Amino acid sequence: MASFDITDPNSFLKEQMTETLRLVMDPELHINIIDLGLVYGIEIEAPEKRVTVEITLSSSYCPMGESIVSAVKNCIEGHYEGYEATVNLVWEPVWSYDCITDQGKRLLGL
Amino acid sequence: MSGIKQNPGLYKIVVTHYVVAAICFLVLSVMMLFSVKAFTGHYFHPQILAITHMAALGWGTMIILGASYQLIPVVLETDLYSEKLAWISFALFLPGLIALVYSFWVFVPGIHMQCGAILLLLAVLLFTVNVYLTAKKKKQETIQEDFIFSACICLCLTVALGAALVFNFTLAIFPQDQLHFLKLHAHMGLIGWFLLMLIGVSSKLVPMFLVSSYQSTKLLTYSYYLIVGALLYFLVDSYLFGLSLRTYLIFTIGGAGIACYFIFLLKCLRSRLRKHIDLPMLNSFLSFILLKIATLTVPFIIYFHLKNNPVTIRFSMIYGEFMLMGWITALILGQTFKTMPFIVWVKRYEHLTGKFKTPMPADLFADNLLKAQTVSYLIFCLTFMPGCYLLFLPLIYVGIAALMVTAMLYLSNIFIVLFHKTVTYGKL
Repeated sequence: MASFDITDPNSFLKEQMTETLRLVMDPELHINIIDLGLVYGIEIEAPEKRVTVEITLSSSYCPMGESIVSAVKNCIEGHYEGYEATVNLVWEPVWSYDCITDQGKRLLGL
Repeated sequence: MSGIKQNPGLYKIVVTHYVVAAICFLVLSVMMLFSVKAFTGHYFHPQILAITHMAALGWGTMIILGASYQLIPVVLETDLYSEKLAWISFALFLPGLIALVYSFWVFVPGIHMQCGAILLLLAVLLFTVNVYLTAKKKKQETIQEDFIFSACICLCLTVALGAALVFNFTLAIFPQDQLHFLKLHAHMGLIGWFLLMLIGVSSKLVPMFLVSSYQSTKLLTYSYYLIVGALLYFLVDSYLFGLSLRTYLIFTIGGAGIACYFIFLLKCLRSRLRKHIDLPMLNSFLSFILLKIATLTVPFIIYFHLKNNPVTIRFSMIYGEFMLMGWITALILGQTFKTMPFIVWVKRYEHLTGKFKTPMPADLFADNLLKAQTVSYLIFCLTFMPGCYLLFLPLIYVGIAALMVTAMLYLSNIFIVLFHKTVTYGKL
């Protein structure tokens, strides 16, 4: 996940969108995709009101993949009026347990 | 994106199989109620043959075929080759099943039984072609693919041999008696079809549902070669010489293969990310215990058979019951509520996710019904199997009554999931 960059004018909006994406849950694990570490990055083109979200899945054959992708798109477009979201599913770097946040680990009972 | 999407056609074919299998399960329990005395005798009995085929084909195979259309694309990471082939296969399978089971029940080995067998053979051949053409679309080969495709071949061979045995009732194709081929037919089905298919699919699904970090497939490779090796050895050796001391060796090889699979499951369990194990997964783990018990009855069958002790028949019955009504049934009872809610959830909620708060797949079935179903199924296991071993009719009656309750609760919960009304809890 990208860190906060004070020199980037979109940083605050990125942080906001990251928090918004906490509303998207993994249907099987019942944990939000931010704490699961599935979101790799958010790119904002403010003038065009375009957002590109780069996400991964815990496994390439995850049958919930389509649901999570459409949920990310719906979530951004539903909360940020006028913005068009594109969701890119990537497999590099491969998702691992290290991607899970401390809060995510707590929610999983680890 | 993996590109695995659920379209309406796939949803219909999968759900149809689930519902028909659940109805077959209820019919099966009623058939058992009318055959209580038959469970205290020889397994080569018309009603036992009818019940066994209803359990193996109408219940076990029907739901595995349905689940396969949903899960094989997930396991093989590609789309199903043809939904039309799946429907044709189903349209052949169902009348074939009814004709065969009814013919066994009234025991009239004539044209109806033969037509039933032919229809079933055509149905499983089409299913296998569909799986083969689905797998052909992808490049990467996995051990799961070997398990699944070998299982499909074994299913075709099992049904082909079964059809030959049906014709043998009237045409005398084989010089040996039916019982000689019956154990080959049964093991090709139980080990070749059910065990290989269930290991192939579960070895992908269990780590996924538990979110396990264990990724190695080395144990599964050992498991595959040991089980397939033992099965081939058994089929050849048993055909030529019948059961002998060598059968112990074959059992050891096969047992080692199953042990490798159990170790794989244990490693998945230990490395799981999700500490909480839900009720459907607990049912699945119960099924693995029942498989272990079934496996442990095999040395007794061999021992008493070699001693010409008639107790071998009772152990054979127990073995079959633990495999079909124990391991396979428990696995289905659990995994249905991991797979079917997801299938329905995707149809009802995928377009709403991220816009509204929605229920999760696990919220779609009635948890209390599943708890009651698990309890009644445990009562069945603890009464029916011992009742059959002890030849104690009251215990068998209690067991079958518990199974009927299990079947009714299962069917009710299937309909609860199926007729779930879409609900949202306001905007996110």
